[in-house]
Amino acid sequence: MVTEQTPAYKFSEIIAEPAIRERWEKVRRWFFLRESTYDMTNRCNIRCEGCYYFTGEKQFAEENSDPDAWGRLMAAEKERGITFAVLAGAEPSLVPELCAICHRIIPLGAIASNGLKVLPRSIDYQIHISVWGNDRTSQAIRKAPDMLQRQIANYRDDPRAIFVYTFTPDNIDEAREITETVADHRCKLTFNMFSAPIGYQGQLRHTSQSLARTRTMMAELLRDFPETVLFSPYSIVAHTDSHGLHALFSCSYPRQNPSTAIGLGRSFRQYRTNLQWDRSAACCVPDTDCDDCRHYAAGSAVVTARMYRHATDPQTFAAWLDYVDTYLAVWVRGYAKGENLCSSLVNPPANH
Amino acid sequence: MSNQQTIKRITEIIINELKLEDVTAETFNVDLDLVDEVGIDSMDLATIALVLRDEYGIRIDEDDYPKLTTVRIIAAYIDDKINQGE
Repeated sequence: MVTEQTPAYKFSEIIAEPAIRERWEKVRRWFFLRESTYDMTNRCNIRCEGCYYFTGEKQFAEENSDPDAWGRLMAAEKERGITFAVLAGAEPSLVPELCAICHRIIPLGAIASNGLKVLPRSIDYQIHISVWGNDRTSQAIRKAPDMLQRQIANYRDDPRAIFVYTFTPDNIDEAREITETVADHRCKLTFNMFSAPIGYQGQLRHTSQSLARTRTMMAELLRDFPETVLFSPYSIVAHTDSHGLHALFSCSYPRQNPSTAIGLGRSFRQYRTNLQWDRSAACCVPDTDCDDCRHYAAGSAVVTARMYRHATDPQTFAAWLDYVDTYLAVWVRGYAKGENLCSSLVNPPANH
Repeated sequence: MSNQQTIKRITEIIINELKLEDVTAETFNVDLDLVDEVGIDSMDLATIALVLRDEYGIRIDEDDYPKLTTVRIIAAYIDDKINQGE
């Protein structure tokens, strides 16, 4: 029995196509990943405009740098089923000894860093190095000289490194020169969107015009640097739509999701530097304005969680698979991204 | 009261999709909490929901996932949907 409310394609028909089935089997092996995020220290060696960490209350949490306390926390996290640790604010590379403890107990994870201080190779997490434009722009927004030059010097030929280019309305045209530089050094790069913190009044908030220009630039760079850029056409759609991720997909992080029954609403926590967490504030980038959130970390979980609604036809499901394949390549050490299956810009399914 | 055939078929699908070992549709406790006692996650449940959609021609709302805690509850949910003529 197929009714008007069910799609024209059965799921079994969608995954009968060999390329889709192969990709489906590839990505579903990683469905066991359950993430939580941890602010490692309240210190940073630079101060960027619009930094999510130095917004809201979390920056004032007391810093717990006791290795034993961190060891106990991570053991408890592992015990409750967390399989992927994201080490973030303010600058984790300033506390490598704590990062090492996290890695020893939860072997899969990623670290968000500005890349100015090298993390020891023994910490085998993916390392996301934030790039906000060329060195002149970084000097203006991040108050730090020669950033890209220093980041590349630190992480060239390091398989852990993923450069994360955050698009703002002001740096769209700089993305090509950055991508060329990253490609010249055989590094990988993915894209992020500036997502305004709550109350942000600066000039970096995207507009409909900047979203459209960013979409065009992303598509050109994905076409011109396929070996360097980890992204997909559907990633472009999801992150440059006039609606943010929450409006498009209903964010499943606890901050927007009251259910504790299953999924992120059940397992996700965002720990502050005092090793405490607050359900009402818990998402991957706390203190972001949810209406403006197009953050790459948010999308990795939020778009992925909406598998069911993307299983309407082979093209839409292939687009979703590309998105998931991209997110796994960005976040998981050793995961190799495949060629994108869907080259068109597929519209997101309706958000029920 | 759910149709026993529905319960049995859902159990078979869950065992197959989750690759559960040492259990059959006859021995599986259909009142086990699928999250707390079987250990399924949201992506597992989404996969099962797609297979159930194929099997029964019904749409399972993502918002309903938290309610679908046991095989018996899923069977009742599906029977309700079918009886409502969806």
